[in-house]
Amino acid sequence: MSDEHEPLAGDLLVILRHAPHGSSWLREGLDVALVAAAFGTDVSLLFMGEGVTALVEDQSAGALGQKSTAPTLEMLEMYDIETLWVEAEALSRFGLDPDELMLAPRVLEAGAIAEAVRKHPRVLTF
Amino acid sequence: MATTAITRYLTVSDAEIGLDPEGYLVELDQWSPAVAEALAEEEGIELDAEHWEVLEVLRAFYAKYEMAPAMRPLVKAVGRELGPDKGRSMHLMRLFPGSPAKRAARLAGLPKPTNCL
Amino acid sequence: MKLHIVNRSPASHRVHEQALAAMGPEDRLLLIEDGVQGGLPQLVRHFEAIAGRLYAQREDLEARGLLGRCDGSVQVVDVDGFVQLTEQAEHTLSWY
Repeated sequence: MSDEHEPLAGDLLVILRHAPHGSSWLREGLDVALVAAAFGTDVSLLFMGEGVTALVEDQSAGALGQKSTAPTLEMLEMYDIETLWVEAEALSRFGLDPDELMLAPRVLEAGAIAEAVRKHPRVLTF
Repeated sequence: MATTAITRYLTVSDAEIGLDPEGYLVELDQWSPAVAEALAEEEGIELDAEHWEVLEVLRAFYAKYEMAPAMRPLVKAVGRELGPDKGRSMHLMRLFPGSPAKRAARLAGLPKPTNCL
Repeated sequence: MKLHIVNRSPASHRVHEQALAAMGPEDRLLLIEDGVQGGLPQLVRHFEAIAGRLYAQREDLEARGLLGRCDGSVQVVDVDGFVQLTEQAEHTLSWY
């Protein structure tokens, strides 16, 4: 899953730090990533903090019928968004094992996160 | 975003199909092949087998991802399902001239693609 | 150099930890709104790792009566200083 030689760079890094259902931040961040990718931008996604819970399996629509973000995450590959990272610290805080997450993201330690942020000319936080 | 405002109706075999200001279905489950034919006729497109297979790819895409695709992912999905010769924007431009992602989504009974201009 | 802006208090949020994790060795951090609580001597330890690169917005400190209580290690900037920081940065990231 982790390849030390994989470049940590793209055109745009979108950092997703909010959980599904609780607010619209996660969906807004994904929408921005999709629009950028639709126009040919090389987009990287980093799930950080509460945002890592977006990758938990078996999600469904909310109690009020709010759409799940899981189908949108499944769709990322159709938009050629294939650089997916998840924050190691947040995973351990939530007791999540990388192997049980959707989309098999690459796990990043804090040092690698700073490097990824540094190497992207554009970074947006959601 | 799908809108709920009906601005006009399309009559298809005695059923009234509500359309939004841009001509997309308001109730997506009112779609049928006959509705697609009627929508296509409005645009002067006669649907043949090559159109139908693309509409089916779109309907499968929406069933799986709950969103209508922009052009790039549409090209990719068509290429995967129907082969690389058809997974090209030229092919889709020929079938659905102008803006294939929007046009084909309308005929397939999907909401307007949100992430394409 | 990137400028990171945090508007949440380290006493009740972990937003500052995310900003710190994302910061490179040259990057700077500016505390605004409730974030300026992080400038208090009891809370400034959260920012030990970026000593010399921590800033706080003067107007937000003043409005909260915290200007005189701000730790000496924090560089206090007014609106003009804020503008200068953003001009010196190649990019600004907000953590909220």
